[in-house]
Amino acid sequence: MSPEHIFGLTVSGLTVGMIYALIALGYTMVYGVLQLINFAHGEVFTIGGYIAASTLIWIGVDATTPLAVKVLYFTVAVLVSLVLTATLGWLIERVAYRPLRGQTRIIALLSAIGTSIFLQNMIVIIFGPQPIIMPTAIVPTGFVEIFGARIRILQIVIIVVSLLLMGLLTWIVKGTRIGKAMRATSQDREAAEMMGIETNLTISFTFVMGSALAAIGGFLVAMYYGSLQFNTGFLYGLKAFTAAVLGGIGNIPGAVVGALILGLAENWGVGLSLGVLAWLLVAGLGLGLYFQLVRAPRQRISHIADEFRTPAYERQVRNVYRFAPVLAVRTLLSERTDALVHVSAQHALRLMVGNIIIFGLAIVFFASGDMQFASKWQHVISFVVLMAILMFRPSGILGENIQEKV
Amino acid sequence: MAAITARISSFFGRVPRWVYIVAVLAFAIAFPMLEYFGLMQTLWLRVGTRALVYVLLAVGLNLVLGETGLLHLGYVAFFAVGAYTTAILSSPRFDIQWNFWVIIAIAMGLAMLFGFLIGVPTLRLRGDYLAIVTLAFGEITRMTLNNWEGLTNGPGGIPGIYPPQIFGWTVDSPAEFFYLLLVTVVIVVWLLNNLKNSRIGRAWNALREDEIAAHHAGVGPTRAKMLAVVMSSGIAGLAGAIFAYYQQFINPTYFLFMQSVIVVSMVVIGGMGSIPGAILGAVVLDTTPEIIRQTFTSWLPAAIGPDFLPGVQAAMQTEFDRYRMAIFGLVIVLMVVFRPEGLLPNKLWRREMHEEDPRELEKTGQHLFDFEEGTQDLEV
Amino acid sequence: MWFFPVFTGSQYTIFHNTLQYSLNRLHQQQGQKGVGNMWHERTRKILASTLAIALALSMLGLGGCGPADEPDDEDEDVARTETVKIGVHTSLTGGLADYGFAAAEALKIAAEDFSGFEVDGVVYDIELVIRDDKGEPAEAPVVAQQLIDEGVVGVIGTLTSGAANAALPIYQGAGIPMISGSATAPDLTEQGYENFFRTCLRDDVQGEALGLWAAELGAERAVVMDDRGDYSVALGNEVEQTLEAEGVEVLRQSGQEGDVDFSAQVSSMMAFDPDVVIFTGYHREAGLLFKQLREAGSDAQFMGGDGIKSNEIAEGAGGAENVEGTYSTFGGFAQEGMPGYTEFAARFEQETGVEAGPYAENNYDALGALVEAITTAGSFDGADIIDALHEITYAGVQGTLSFDEKGDVSVPGGAGTDLIPRFQFSDGNWEFIG
Repeated sequence: MSPEHIFGLTVSGLTVGMIYALIALGYTMVYGVLQLINFAHGEVFTIGGYIAASTLIWIGVDATTPLAVKVLYFTVAVLVSLVLTATLGWLIERVAYRPLRGQTRIIALLSAIGTSIFLQNMIVIIFGPQPIIMPTAIVPTGFVEIFGARIRILQIVIIVVSLLLMGLLTWIVKGTRIGKAMRATSQDREAAEMMGIETNLTISFTFVMGSALAAIGGFLVAMYYGSLQFNTGFLYGLKAFTAAVLGGIGNIPGAVVGALILGLAENWGVGLSLGVLAWLLVAGLGLGLYFQLVRAPRQRISHIADEFRTPAYERQVRNVYRFAPVLAVRTLLSERTDALVHVSAQHALRLMVGNIIIFGLAIVFFASGDMQFASKWQHVISFVVLMAILMFRPSGILGENIQEKV
Repeated sequence: MAAITARISSFFGRVPRWVYIVAVLAFAIAFPMLEYFGLMQTLWLRVGTRALVYVLLAVGLNLVLGETGLLHLGYVAFFAVGAYTTAILSSPRFDIQWNFWVIIAIAMGLAMLFGFLIGVPTLRLRGDYLAIVTLAFGEITRMTLNNWEGLTNGPGGIPGIYPPQIFGWTVDSPAEFFYLLLVTVVIVVWLLNNLKNSRIGRAWNALREDEIAAHHAGVGPTRAKMLAVVMSSGIAGLAGAIFAYYQQFINPTYFLFMQSVIVVSMVVIGGMGSIPGAILGAVVLDTTPEIIRQTFTSWLPAAIGPDFLPGVQAAMQTEFDRYRMAIFGLVIVLMVVFRPEGLLPNKLWRREMHEEDPRELEKTGQHLFDFEEGTQDLEV
Repeated sequence: MWFFPVFTGSQYTIFHNTLQYSLNRLHQQQGQKGVGNMWHERTRKILASTLAIALALSMLGLGGCGPADEPDDEDEDVARTETVKIGVHTSLTGGLADYGFAAAEALKIAAEDFSGFEVDGVVYDIELVIRDDKGEPAEAPVVAQQLIDEGVVGVIGTLTSGAANAALPIYQGAGIPMISGSATAPDLTEQGYENFFRTCLRDDVQGEALGLWAAELGAERAVVMDDRGDYSVALGNEVEQTLEAEGVEVLRQSGQEGDVDFSAQVSSMMAFDPDVVIFTGYHREAGLLFKQLREAGSDAQFMGGDGIKSNEIAEGAGGAENVEGTYSTFGGFAQEGMPGYTEFAARFEQETGVEAGPYAENNYDALGALVEAITTAGSFDGADIIDALHEITYAGVQGTLSFDEKGDVSVPGGAGTDLIPRFQFSDGNWEFIG
């Protein structure tokens, strides 16, 4: 476990994380405004990359093209991809989602899934099932050595471009009129409409902006790996959504934080040996036990109104957390329990299950010793993260930023 | 035109329900006999048998998606659990052959257990989060089956699954499997239909319509949803166990995410919350591609000569599959936008989908409540 | 001959009468709105669709029931030449469509060549019935049944091992021999099916050869990476076992078919610092992986199985220079050592306009062996053909072939890993090196 290995993993984790972030922003903005998982977003991302790559192939770039012309072509490709992909995003909203406003979430989500599958297969029909190859001449190939690890210039470019775009986005949302309209629409669409905000326009704008970010993400991925496949966006979309939920859906900084954590988790998870991961898990277990035995009961007890606060009541709540499996199940099964104890029992059971899982994994990892975490489980990592975060903290790390309307 | 369709539909409306049921059952029972008497190719018997597996899946998913209104995108995972139970307990893989009934019980039990485990933490979540968690669960299940080589032989799959023996009767021909599945489907549909009209069935519908109102009316949401999820998982497990027997070979590529999507489309197209709808959706979506393919690879060439439109034929042979999934996606969107209640709608869903502004209705002279159908409102 | 739904007179009358009846009833009851209507909303839809399905399905049933063109029906004294149907069960769509195309085209050439063989004084022409299973095992049984229904006497296929596993029980039940030119999974011939034969070598032989080659190159630290597909994992396991038996330190890695991002694996490989990297998947992922390894500064020798032996590997790798010098093995016999390959390849290119793809000659030989067995057996009975297949020695494009008792192919004067040919990628082409 050399330091340059860890450093290399960190940089590639950050690069992947930044790309996840660009996609996750689209999910999180749409969810914030419409409370809809825009399932087709992953495909929008792929199409963005495909359009950029095929524009460059069509123009025809090769190694002899002078740098200035390359930059020009590059800009043209980005612009074409941005415009077409943003139009696609606008169209998707107009055709598949707008007629369903006011319907239940399931209906809208079904429409989103249908759109996603349709687009994915349209890519196959139009571009064929074989992957599209990015012209290599346009991709900066240089690298720098930092701490003995080779970092590609492109990785630095991706990180910097992503940061700039996120800054731009934050400025749009926080500092412009349309951003204000977006925030108002996400809080209460009807009220916003009454205040004279064109909510339909605002929603369309949200889709256009999300799609534009996804297009740039697709372009960066196509450059970074050199090729894109028709189903690349599906997995990237799912992971980006995981990142959005991890950071707290509807929350723009949250999406970035979640994406970086996920990118790092995937790379470290595969690259580090099981022994190191086991120690990380032990630390996690300590944190989990602290939550279960100290912090959670203390919080629950603080909810007890003063006039009911008796040592016996406090002990009851604490015991539910302490002897969770037995007591919690018994509490949950009995119909007549105090609401606070009932809620505590549910919570305790979840924490307990989580701690047991962490403990089990740590034991397994210790037993496997110095072996590497098999990379065949790489994609499972993000799915497990998604399930875990939804089970134990559905509001995400930085908290949700959406208005639940009843 | 509208008058004619109204007349025809009014005619169909007058036929009592049992007539349809008897007609469908009679047709299903007679179906393998067509093959036996040489009136039909065995191919269609195989297609019919596979369609029955999808009917089981669609009916099971309908319980969750249609009745309770939870979007479940990892349904195929429970199917996989059932199929792998059979494959592991009745094949040369570990050289064991357990009793059919034991395997069915274990398959259903395991699938239900997984349904329960996935339900405990997730049923509290918003509906759309549930969709993503189930999707993640489905993918985790498939990757685990693919990676756990010691148990499942990984991507190589488990070949040579022994045929089941039910009270000494060895089921090994397509016709026998067709009847086995038909009996299963009839039992499951009968049970589900009774459930649908029972107390718990109404609780599910109430939750689908408005969870908060239902909760306040005394329906425990988590418990009722849990029951739906666990039962539908059991049905998928059952379908998977029989499917593995029928197929005699199982590997993880049977359980891709697209399979879940196909089952969801079946329920949506047939009509969410409607059992006849789910059956129709499954049969139509599973057989249509085969019919189209057969038309272009056998029937048309035989009719017009093999050189008929070689381009079209080649395209249908090689391109059709790509269009098939694109069409599935498009159909889901179109159905949801234009006819969310499906082809054979459940009454309550349709009403909910077409809720109209009372002021608009007044203008056209219609009433918000259809008083002539007053008795129907209570029936649900 | 008739095949598609034809409404007979009586069917039409029944339909017509029903309609009349319904219209009459409607006229009588028009304007009566009330309790009588309470069924119709739900039920009319059910009836309508039930009828529709019933009608559609019965039409299908009828559609399939036309009497097949039996050769015996024809006039005996006129017919000297008759047609025999041979099934081609392959994958023309899906990820392996290229291989399926090569197989189908090679078989078309073979059908021309082998038509006109004689059994019992009658000359037979071959009619190929080509069907596509999309490379999905779930489709394979249906395709198998379709071919059996068409009345084929033997089947060339399937393309993939997964489909073979799913289709084998059905062909076995119908007693139809099945010869695959490309299903290389070892377990196919280990399950005791009598009707399965193959004209390609098994993955375990190739895996062992690949492992031994890496050891021969003097590798001390090797990475073995698969793509989690069935072919890739089986091959990878075999390579890993062989390398470990040879005392080479092995790091096992996995990607996922369709992945573009191998950065985590590449980081781990760089930390391991291997002498050789063996990728047992297909050329798309191989190109991407080798490119990312070169970019990360690796100077390891790249190797792979027959999955990477495609000239397109250079595209995925972003230029031929990234994969220059890569070694690969092949799951068939060495084409360069084959007596008839040059001629065959030239014909293939002439007929189809493209180069002969992988496993084209194996499929050609599969049909040749089947015809040889039919003539030897002097019968079209499945059991006789299967018996004959075990006995024949057939001189084909690949050389003189025979099948052992399991159905695996063997050639005289060579066994095991010696048969596996080796290739090196140089200047955009795979070149045979021994």
